Amino acid sequence: MNEHNGSGSPSFLARLGGIDRRWIFLAMGLSIALPILLKLRFPEYPGPMAKATFDAIESVPEGSRVLIAFDYDPASAAELQPMANAMVHHCASRGHKIVFMALWPLGRQLADKAIAEVLLEFHPQLQYGTDYVQLGYQAGNEGVVKLMATNVPEQYKTDTKGTPLANLPLVADLRSTADFKLISSISAGYPGAREWVLFAESANPEAFKLVCGSTGVQVSQLLPYYPKQLDGMLVAVKGAAEYEMLVEDKYPVEKNADRLGQGRVRMGPQLVAHLLMIGLIVLGNIAMVAGRSRGGAQ
Amino acid sequence: MNHPEPNQPTTHGRGRRSYRLLWISLAVLGFSMVALRTAVAAQSGEGNPAAARDLWTTVGVWCAAFMTLGILSFLYKDNPFYKVCESILIGVSAAYWMVNGFWSTLVPNLFGKLVPGFVRSVALPDLPVSATPGLDMALAFVPLALGFMLLWRLAPRGGWIAVWPLAFIIGTTAGMRLVASIEADLLAQTVATVRPLVVFDQATSAFNFWGTVGAIVSVVGVLCVLTYFFFSVEHKGVVGGTARLGIWFLMITFGSAFGLTVMGRITLLAQRFEFLFRDWMGIA
Repeated sequence: MNEHNGSGSPSFLARLGGIDRRWIFLAMGLSIALPILLKLRFPEYPGPMAKATFDAIESVPEGSRVLIAFDYDPASAAELQPMANAMVHHCASRGHKIVFMALWPLGRQLADKAIAEVLLEFHPQLQYGTDYVQLGYQAGNEGVVKLMATNVPEQYKTDTKGTPLANLPLVADLRSTADFKLISSISAGYPGAREWVLFAESANPEAFKLVCGSTGVQVSQLLPYYPKQLDGMLVAVKGAAEYEMLVEDKYPVEKNADRLGQGRVRMGPQLVAHLLMIGLIVLGNIAMVAGRSRGGAQ
Repeated sequence: MNHPEPNQPTTHGRGRRSYRLLWISLAVLGFSMVALRTAVAAQSGEGNPAAARDLWTTVGVWCAAFMTLGILSFLYKDNPFYKVCESILIGVSAAYWMVNGFWSTLVPNLFGKLVPGFVRSVALPDLPVSATPGLDMALAFVPLALGFMLLWRLAPRGGWIAVWPLAFIIGTTAGMRLVASIEADLLAQTVATVRPLVVFDQATSAFNFWGTVGAIVSVVGVLCVLTYFFFSVEHKGVVGGTARLGIWFLMITFGSAFGLTVMGRITLLAQRFEFLFRDWMGIA
């Protein structure tokens, strides 16, 4: 195939087709690194799903008992911790009583991180046992959710400190998931939001509102559940950024606000990297079409 | 035998030079970071997260930074630094899951019921006291026996014994998920699809154009994709056209799923860069 121009050197499009992929890696790295170094931020406009999540938490009466399940581990924390932080702050600001738990082993540590960096930072007046409780991780995947749908004390006999649930005012009378007004699963896969839909929502469809935050990978799997079975859904870091905007507008904080803005920080690199990818896809296709047409002409 | 030309570097020689170049680059990068970090820490003082850390946190941050760079170095080419980081990652992950399974499942759920007093005295002082310890102990022998049967496949003879606990696991999981899936996936999704094609706003009773478009696309999409997977009729004529439209819906779905996956991967890389710039280098 002759892909040379008249002077004998390869044409730009021909060279583009044979470019070393490491140049693309470098360009992608720079497109992500530079916005971080330059602290590029772009305005976010909350979409319907982020608004629905926000409204679901707002619609629950003040002081309600809510459950936040940290169903992920550090591998997905980049996407999910920003929305988890914003949700914890939102629930606490609204006056809800928060019960933390995890279906993933390391979810407990991430919940502890959210408690330390958000709950106790912005709401230091909250008391353990009456305003929030950490139940931690239980092995059993969907079995945990299924048992909680009918009998929470059988699944969780104590909190993470070994205190029996009966001695913690917030959860002393807790019987089943129906005793929560809202359940949120911040989910990275199995077990996660889908298991909460299958085993908790199906068991008590009208008893509580169910919202979720999801990694980008599993969004298409969860979308069919919205809005009938899921009252709200935060779609990856984009959903986190939109939700952060809504939370910050209504419940601003005076210091350390960056802890509630990680999603928006990560949207800067997203934009530049996506523009680069779109440009590369367009260029690649032009090079392919040009190569084909040259081949056809010969 | 084919000998390389005297003035042409061998593949082996090129590889060694590339590795040398990579090691030199990493060393230069490391020393640059030390200098930069020291300078930044001296200037910014306590306000900088990279400054004023205790020794072990600093060691942890440096380990994490070199692991991150080691894994990313694969993008240039396969190299020993990457191999070391990859092996550490796999080893630590496997060990973590084993230890986690032992302490979160076996100890509280099995040993804690078979010998609760012993477990409480040596491992888990907070192990809840059961109201029916005898019954718990008797029931715990069931998973204990199934566990031993499962491990029997490692024995030279009687591998068929492991099939029974496997059948138990598959049967209970299928039974548990079957009902929930029929309820949440089949029935609820069918109900969600059966809806008015013309949508009016609930509050104002005004015609909702985009809601109507969404409802029509949703119903048409479901029918077309179902037709594509319906193989009892040959895909010709109207059925063929509908199936082809179903393929378009599937392609769009896969494309959006891929786009979301890319978004997730970019976020992961952004978070790693944030870590390197802020926690390690202290420049962002």
